[in-house]
Amino acid sequence: MTLVMVVDDDQDLSEMLGIVLTGAGIDVDLVSRGDEALEVFRNNPPDLVLLDVMLPGLDGIEVCRLIRAESMVPIIMLSAKGDSHDVVRGLEAGADDYMVKPFKHPSELVARIRTRLRRTNTEISGLLSIADLAIDVTAHQVQRAGKQIALTRLEFDLLVALAKEPGRVFSRDALLSEVWGYRHSTDTRLVNVHVQRLRAKIEHDPERPEIVVTVRGVGYKAGVMGGS
Amino acid sequence: MNRIFSVFRKSLAPKVIISTLVLCLGVIYVAGSALNSQLSAGIKKVNLQSTIIEANSTIFSAQYRFLLAQGSKNTAVKKVIDDIISSTTSLTSNENAREVVFLKSPGNSRKINYEITSNLVDPKSIPESLSKKTRKNIDYAFGYMTIHYVNGSRIAGLAVGQKVTIPNAGQYEMYILYSLVNQNTTLKLIQSYLLLTGLFLIILIGLITWLVVRQVVRPVRQAALIATQFTAGNFSERMNVRSEDEISTLSNAFNEMAESLEKQIARLENLSRVQQRFVSDVSHELRTPLTTLRMASEIINSARDGFDPMLARSSELMVAQLDRFERLLEDLLEISRFDAEVAVLDAVDFDLVELANRCADDLALVAKERSTELRMYAIAETITIKADIRRVERILRNLFSNAIDHAEEKPVAVTIVASDHDVAIGVRDFGIGLDESTLMRVFDRFWRADPSRARTRGGTGLGLSIALEDARLHNGELEAWGRPGKGAHFVLTLPRQVGTHVTARLIKLQPDDFYE
Repeated sequence: MTLVMVVDDDQDLSEMLGIVLTGAGIDVDLVSRGDEALEVFRNNPPDLVLLDVMLPGLDGIEVCRLIRAESMVPIIMLSAKGDSHDVVRGLEAGADDYMVKPFKHPSELVARIRTRLRRTNTEISGLLSIADLAIDVTAHQVQRAGKQIALTRLEFDLLVALAKEPGRVFSRDALLSEVWGYRHSTDTRLVNVHVQRLRAKIEHDPERPEIVVTVRGVGYKAGVMGGS
Repeated sequence: MNRIFSVFRKSLAPKVIISTLVLCLGVIYVAGSALNSQLSAGIKKVNLQSTIIEANSTIFSAQYRFLLAQGSKNTAVKKVIDDIISSTTSLTSNENAREVVFLKSPGNSRKINYEITSNLVDPKSIPESLSKKTRKNIDYAFGYMTIHYVNGSRIAGLAVGQKVTIPNAGQYEMYILYSLVNQNTTLKLIQSYLLLTGLFLIILIGLITWLVVRQVVRPVRQAALIATQFTAGNFSERMNVRSEDEISTLSNAFNEMAESLEKQIARLENLSRVQQRFVSDVSHELRTPLTTLRMASEIINSARDGFDPMLARSSELMVAQLDRFERLLEDLLEISRFDAEVAVLDAVDFDLVELANRCADDLALVAKERSTELRMYAIAETITIKADIRRVERILRNLFSNAIDHAEEKPVAVTIVASDHDVAIGVRDFGIGLDESTLMRVFDRFWRADPSRARTRGGTGLGLSIALEDARLHNGELEAWGRPGKGAHFVLTLPRQVGTHVTARLIKLQPDDFYE
């Protein structure tokens, strides 16, 4: 069974989240303090982390950074502030997605969690190659010259989404629906921040990207190195 | 010339210095002229007195010698005359030349003529007026004149004349002419010294004025400079206070003002920070329980099929009202962000036509419920702009749903026009419209066009005021037009590039289809 670690200091909300997730057939591990989160995470590694930003003991963003430093587990931040600053900080700390309280529907939360947990790109399998990267879609691995590059599941999905059709320009909206499963989202920060993080891992020079190329005013495309 | 005037207009120092100099020049001129005339009058008087005394004694001695020569021969008399002339004219340099002139008095009919002048002085030098006075006076007579020499040179002079009787020759007039070259040189010297002193004084006064003005103007200039820095946002500058005069009072007052301004601004900044903090705290504190509430209500609502009708309806109402509560909270938080001036623009490139179509699609169902529709008329298939897409979307949703609400089952026309710099969206409905007083308040917070109208769509009453703030944040404009029964027209104009300003109104606020 899937295990989700919920880190939130509001007991009532935590309980409610527990009820909703349990109802969807997901096990929950409730943590109420930021400084306890990492220990619980290590003792009982979950499949996904739901992390509030404001936490006693240790800031949610800091917790996110610590977890990301040792695991590629999907992390969804829960933010009470619609503040873009907070959201971007969370994403930069390594969160894959974020949800702003209050959620529209409990089902939305469950859907997001499932999106992050599901195996994407089931329609393609085998090997892809883009520039000097070898992507094993089935094994969820990326290699450069035989050396493995560690990507989070989301970063991997993003790379595969672009790499399976090299040269095609994806708008940010298209990527949001393809990778994050959003139907109508206009929050392109999500895409921008993750593209930056992906570049930091796979590009030779993240300042002059050659694999994930920006198409001004439109979006991104997977470039062929040395080519266009 | 204009430049000189502009220097005068713009700077205090030249104005003060020039006016001081002009006034001083006047004073010095008057004083100098008075001094000059007094001095020259005095010198002339003293000179005249001594000259007359000397002339009198010379003439007296001549008369005495003529008296002694009474009865002598003509040659002896001639010798006496020569002696007199040589003794009088000797021992004189050019500058104090003394000349003697003997003129035969009219009426003297003696044949012998002793008319003589020393050193080739033209006898015509003696003016007629002096001759007359000399003849008339028993005593001496004097007059200022010009000494003409036969060789043509002339010098200013003073003549003293008296009647003398020459033995064997009758009555003559004896004139002693004194050169005034020396005296005039002295006078000229005095004049030039006075002029020099005047000039020196003017320069000195100019210099002193400049120093004084600088002392006064410098603090004023400093104050102006610091005030400019204040405008630029630098509140740390202060004026130097070195003494206890009026200038230092000014400086102190200025510094106190600066201090108080700085404090006020700091206080306001702090208030704004507190406000921002408060908004963020309220946000967090309210959102968390609301999240729990919503999830709980959804779970209850999802099980409503098993409820009895009253309970089922109650759970539906609860969900709907929570929705509304959330929208209200969002809008209130947005408004307080605008009030605290912490709203930020997150600009990206996007296609406005696509966004408008998406907003219209999302509202299509609502429009259908109200038997209306949104008809899009875009000038191009894609219009790319750089703006905060979230805010533009919010503006469009607000305008669209507003128009649908008031369309009275008639279609709503949405026009999108773009130029190189600007983009405009007009939303025209043909519904109940707006009257004058409504137009004035349409962007006010919590204001509704018609209080008696049912709040069917559950709007918060903040939609249009938020839309206006969103437009302003983009340096854009949002305007409303309306006539009762003729519908309304809302026009949003935005610069295509965030950070620039609107250069032209691409859509007229008063619709073309409307005639008064």
